[in-house]
Amino acid sequence: MSVYFQIEEYHRPRDLAQAVDILSGFGNRARVIAGGTDILPRRAGVKKIDTINHLVDISRLGLDYLKREGDNICMGAVTTINTIGASPLFLSGPYGALTDAAGAHSTSTIRNRATVGGNLCNASPCADLALPLLVLDAILVAAGPEGKRHIPIENFFKGVNYTALNNEEVLVEIRIPLCSEKTGTSFLKLRRHQTAIDMAVVNVATSLNCRENRCEAAGIALGSVAPVPFRAKKAESMLVGAKLSNEIIEKAAVAAAGEARPIDDVRSTSAYRKKMIAVLVRRSLESSMRRCGQ
Amino acid sequence: MWSVKKMDIKIHVNGDWYELAVNPGDRLVDVLRDQLDLTGTKEGCGEGECGACTVNLDGKAVLSCLILAVQVDGCTILTIEGLQRGSELHPLQKAFTSESAIQCGYCTPGMIMAANALIYNEPEPDEDTIRKNLSNNLCRCTGYDRPVKAVLKAAKDMKGDTNV
Repeated sequence: MSVYFQIEEYHRPRDLAQAVDILSGFGNRARVIAGGTDILPRRAGVKKIDTINHLVDISRLGLDYLKREGDNICMGAVTTINTIGASPLFLSGPYGALTDAAGAHSTSTIRNRATVGGNLCNASPCADLALPLLVLDAILVAAGPEGKRHIPIENFFKGVNYTALNNEEVLVEIRIPLCSEKTGTSFLKLRRHQTAIDMAVVNVATSLNCRENRCEAAGIALGSVAPVPFRAKKAESMLVGAKLSNEIIEKAAVAAAGEARPIDDVRSTSAYRKKMIAVLVRRSLESSMRRCGQ
Repeated sequence: MWSVKKMDIKIHVNGDWYELAVNPGDRLVDVLRDQLDLTGTKEGCGEGECGACTVNLDGKAVLSCLILAVQVDGCTILTIEGLQRGSELHPLQKAFTSESAIQCGYCTPGMIMAANALIYNEPEPDEDTIRKNLSNNLCRCTGYDRPVKAVLKAAKDMKGDTNV
């Protein structure tokens, strides 16, 4: 029998309150599991998993849903990425970036298990779904011993594999405020070999809200070029109020590259990442513009 | 001190229910191969990159190296051993043979199970869809042309008559 993955105990709580109780009891020795596609590749012996010997499975707590509720679209945290990619809720212009990102994430076999909550909680700098959710100003709902609290996604990522969640908290829902139909969003990802499994060299999501070609609101989120996915605020502010032209889009794209702080690693050099940020932001803004009012 | 707490699970594999006691860290691929002797499912990379361990879980293609066995309690699993009905090979198996889509064969069970789920969910996939789908399964022998032809042929032969 393989001892590939050593875990002392697997817990299947009957409800959210019990999940929080178990997590509170074991502190940093316990970890939430849903799809498992981020937890299982971390083999025993890899530093991060060494202290974890309890897994708390939240995949059967009814957190798998996608629905419109009031002024929000609500996604349960364990909704699989393929479910999001196939959902008619996100096909129109304002949410196109989410469909793009869901389709570009890993392989369809992984996406059948991988969840949106896991993609966010793993807090990889290159998390694909983080970027559209950043430009859509998503609100993350976490459940803990004191009840639920709302975390704007911009405050969620604290470092590589490190989020604003406490040990005993569970991410339960992602809320996307309904966008005006004049909004267009898009997502682009550059991979080293352009095969499905490759992680991003650079990934980008943008949003534009325009009226008669004048930009009323803009969002630019960058991935894989800093310890956390983030919004390029200076570049965004150059677009707001401006009449959209090739020149201003190019300028904003270059400004976004200026806000990136990439590193050299196995996938790319820092210099190449900077150059590609400018290219991807420009293309993504052009695509978002085309999707405005769709 | 480790005191591993075993879990009892019940899974439906290739048409039969099995009641098993598993370690919480056992992956589905471990249980299929080591407890049920279903060694048709291969382990390649063990970290979700190669697709060799692909099986069908409730009608979807998934990687059995990235799923804990305890998590599939109550679920239906189909492996390459359960694909054929009776003594006759399944259309996918026949097509992989007749189109010479196999060389070393290590990726084949995963590739066929991925194709089976694809045809189940999309009975008439076009070549582009098949190519995209097979890109989930690493093959270093065939160059993919023949597996693509085999899946196209099988989809035609099956006419939506799938087994998952």
